[in-house]
Amino acid sequence: MSSAADSNPQAGQGRPLPKKESDLFRNVVKFYETKQYKKGIKHADGILKKFPNHGETLCMKGLTLNCLKKREEAHALVKLGLRNDMRSHVCWHVYGLLHRSDRNYNEAIKAYKQALRIDRENLQILRDLSLLQIQMRDLEGFSSSRLTLLQLKPNNKINWISYALGRHGTGDLEGALSVLDAFLNTQDSNSVERSRNFESSELALYRNDILEELAKQQSTTTTNALEQYQAAYAHLMEIEEIVVDRGCWMEKRARYEVHLGKYEEARTTLEQSLERGLTEDYRVHSGYMCALLEVDGTTYDEATLRGGKNGGSGTSGSSTDTLATIQVLSSEQKKRLLDVYQNELLPKYPKSQAVQRIPLTLLLSMDSEKELFRSGVDAYCRKRLIKGVPSLALDLSTFLLEEVDDETTASPGRYRRVTDPIDVKSHPTFCILLDLAKSYIVHLESINKFSPEDDDTTNEKQQQPSEETILWAWYLLAGLYELCGNYAEGMELTDKCLEHTPNAVDVYELKARLQKAAGDMDGAVTSLDKGREMDKQDRYINNLTTKYMLQAGQEEVALERIALFTKHEGNPEDNLYNMQCCWYELELADCLQSKKVWGKSLKKFGAVIKHFDDFHEDQFDFHQYCVRKVTLRAYRDVLLWEDDLFGQEYYGRAAEGIISIYLHLHDANNDPSQGGKGNDGRYGEPDYSTMTAAERKKAKAIARKKKKAAEKKLQQAAAVAEAKKAEEAAAAQKADGSGNNHHNNKKKRQAAIPVVVDNDPDGLELLKKDPLEEAKKYSAILSKSAPKRISTWLIQYDVSIRRGKGLMALQALYKARAIDAEDAGLFERTVDFCTKKDGIASKMNETAKQVLERQTLLLLEPSKSVKEFVGSAKEKIKSDPLTSLPFRAAVAAASVAHCGSSVADASTLVLDGGIDARGVSVDACRDVLETLRTMTKKDGSSKAECDAWIDVVKKRFPLIKNLA
Amino acid sequence: MSRPLPIEYGAITPENVEELRKVNAACFPVSYNAGFYREIAVRRDDRLNKFAFYSGKVVGAVCTRLEPISNNRHRLYIMTLGVLAAYRGREVGTQLIQSILDYFEEERDGKLATVDEICLHVQTSNEDAIRFYIQRFGFVKGEIVENYYRRIDPPHCYLLFKKLRP
Repeated sequence: MSSAADSNPQAGQGRPLPKKESDLFRNVVKFYETKQYKKGIKHADGILKKFPNHGETLCMKGLTLNCLKKREEAHALVKLGLRNDMRSHVCWHVYGLLHRSDRNYNEAIKAYKQALRIDRENLQILRDLSLLQIQMRDLEGFSSSRLTLLQLKPNNKINWISYALGRHGTGDLEGALSVLDAFLNTQDSNSVERSRNFESSELALYRNDILEELAKQQSTTTTNALEQYQAAYAHLMEIEEIVVDRGCWMEKRARYEVHLGKYEEARTTLEQSLERGLTEDYRVHSGYMCALLEVDGTTYDEATLRGGKNGGSGTSGSSTDTLATIQVLSSEQKKRLLDVYQNELLPKYPKSQAVQRIPLTLLLSMDSEKELFRSGVDAYCRKRLIKGVPSLALDLSTFLLEEVDDETTASPGRYRRVTDPIDVKSHPTFCILLDLAKSYIVHLESINKFSPEDDDTTNEKQQQPSEETILWAWYLLAGLYELCGNYAEGMELTDKCLEHTPNAVDVYELKARLQKAAGDMDGAVTSLDKGREMDKQDRYINNLTTKYMLQAGQEEVALERIALFTKHEGNPEDNLYNMQCCWYELELADCLQSKKVWGKSLKKFGAVIKHFDDFHEDQFDFHQYCVRKVTLRAYRDVLLWEDDLFGQEYYGRAAEGIISIYLHLHDANNDPSQGGKGNDGRYGEPDYSTMTAAERKKAKAIARKKKKAAEKKLQQAAAVAEAKKAEEAAAAQKADGSGNNHHNNKKKRQAAIPVVVDNDPDGLELLKKDPLEEAKKYSAILSKSAPKRISTWLIQYDVSIRRGKGLMALQALYKARAIDAEDAGLFERTVDFCTKKDGIASKMNETAKQVLERQTLLLLEPSKSVKEFVGSAKEKIKSDPLTSLPFRAAVAAASVAHCGSSVADASTLVLDGGIDARGVSVDACRDVLETLRTMTKKDGSSKAECDAWIDVVKKRFPLIKNLA
Repeated sequence: MSRPLPIEYGAITPENVEELRKVNAACFPVSYNAGFYREIAVRRDDRLNKFAFYSGKVVGAVCTRLEPISNNRHRLYIMTLGVLAAYRGREVGTQLIQSILDYFEEERDGKLATVDEICLHVQTSNEDAIRFYIQRFGFVKGEIVENYYRRIDPPHCYLLFKKLRP
């Protein structure tokens, strides 16, 4: 800003301001920059007294007012100024800044470009423009702005780096390299840039990252790729002396060595990593296994991915994954690894958890070594039971692996974690674990030993069970029962634990989890709250209690609980919002949604959306900062993370929540039986129409009381806000008056944050929006950002079909099928689509109609019609007794609707073995009951099927509430 | 008797006083009123009231207070001593009482200069407890107090005491 004003301070329709006024104008700019806004306005008014139409002054006054939160006035003034002086770059620049402060970046970019047309070489504007371009990911634009800046100021390191980032961003890796090299070549060999320090280290590693990316781009087998890896490796060796991030350097070294086939060297490097203290890093272990087995580079890259994720959707790996738990190895390979771990690593690192654990994962799947595994895991468990490790059951659950039958990739096979209770129960490893835990308990209870053969004297003291060990043994077995769905047995054990040690907080947590899974949410809340009572300073248990309360529909108590840990002044809910506490807002929104309080629920989901928009906004600060500090690798990571931001799970939950509410509102609006009004809670009230008179009276009384309390609260809040405002105004005045500005900057910035009083706390305004438009908006974001999640496409289908967009709906089905062809939701929608297809086609032109017909048939492949499609699904259920419960229900409903099956016939699909199938949970059982009800209602037949199902469910989940 | 359980001591505060309630409920046939817990939590005297922790969990607790006996003379009165059943026989109670006695020795001529004896009430039928105090710490059986308890049988108790000064 200042340089702009200095270089041409008298710009203004070609007529320069007189000396006095031009000095004033300079002051206006100065005061703006030093945040002395009131003074700035005074000076601007001084100019305007004489030259009321001076464009640049009007603009500057507007910009200053904007900082005082007078947005409307600011926009009017800046527009007026711009109209008075269209040829001033200052006016355009100000116009851009104003849009930028509104986060209206596209408009801001346009304005900056206009300013640059007038003043081509204005560094400040170029810099501002480049920041907006990278924020908006106009990578080509960013690159060219940075090039101009570099040409104007080639002696600035930041300009070189930024331009290299620009080239990198556009995918021109060689270009980026040559920019970096050009810069480094200007530095002589003993300059700061080439000696050992943080900045030079980061720059060198960044350059090396680009080299690695180049290598990765080549197809793996070509000699070209080898050459590129060779180059990256050579460079890595070259920079060894200046790199300070030794850990990263070694990680890279090991990776290159594997890619180049230097397995011996890689092994040494990884051994050094272990020696440096990374013995608990499973990625290092995984890499070490790869080096031992001499696998190819691609496998190495996958096996050493951060967090051990083994890629793909749904199959989220655990942090203890290694090559041996991702990929099926031959028994020779396993023996080789086992040999090294037991004879080399274990003696060297006897205390390392990972080194103790990894041999078990190797023994695990070797049929010949069942006994070895058993004795190994026995020792592993004993040690942890004596120590009292609550997470033992969870830890052991990662041993439950199964091979994935995948015909498409020939070899080698891959592992998948088994999680469904029904699969867990029959898993051979699980049987071993269960057996062990049971035998511990028998012997601990009778003789306080793990097994009768144990000798008191030979073992060290540490390996003797103590009074507490039985507690952890019960706890372990309860945890195992949780995994396999035996909730009642689990709860018996947790009760034993509580009798033994009534203040073991972990037990309350496990008990609550078991109760919840068994269908008794209120009981779960009571248990957790008891555990929480014991230590009111434990934030974890407090938060968990809050979450459970929300899931049990007790949102008011939940707020009281969470408020114990929020700031004590002010409204706790505002505090949670300011702290961007997404999990609370999501749970509350879910809770309100289930209570049909649509408006407030939308509001809470919307809050999470807002947080993500803020996260996206937050990167703005990094564009300048990271380049200045040369944290280039971290900066690249941030940019990539931000690119993926809206694909995050929490965002997905919020967006799907919003969509489902709007779709519900849309359906209710268009449902003639509701008089087109869709009254259920639309205005934040419960649905009175389904209640009896007495219930209605009670509900209304409660609503009145709530309203009164809320009003009172609002009044109080308003009063507090008012008082605060007055206080802040006073403070601001004081600060403005004092000459010493730097000290007050922070205070002022705080004062500049306006006290937001929410005029629509219940989200009633949100209910007035066009439901389909809103749903479409969020669904479009999800389709773009979370294409790997099946729910994205199912909900996209729901939105598209309501909008009458047949081809979009069809596309969504195809996308979903590519992710999981056996999903119940997909089946339901596929059938739904076939029934609606003709209606949609009738509004289409011939070509589109043909495409639709053809593609729909392809979707059903190999079946030729809906009837056949449903029929083959029925066959599948009959041939596989474990076919998931939701899928069974979907098929049953479809066969009644489309194949003319009787209700009695169709419901056998669910009733015969449905409860012993996959995907059985309390919620799923409730959904199935709903499906059965709809089926029987249509048919007009007896409720026998529903009652039969209720019986079955109650037997399986004895604690289930409100089922009938 | 097996080896003593390695325990650590911890203060009783308003945030964790619920744990004391859990221990007492598991150990005693009588229940103490809210005032009892409030007083202990508020007093925050971690030398006289304390938890015994074993591997991070509370397994027992002792609560003591100073009571005036005559003009400017006091006694230490043990209100409760409880150890969870599963952890008994490992000298948790012994360690707790010993820690109180150690505290007295430390402050014999300081904060506790006015204290002459340590005492407690014990139900007449509670032979284990009587043996514990007499054999292990040299307490002496004092007067019998009739109808001391209201809700348990027998309702009588002994006063056990130990002179701390000659």
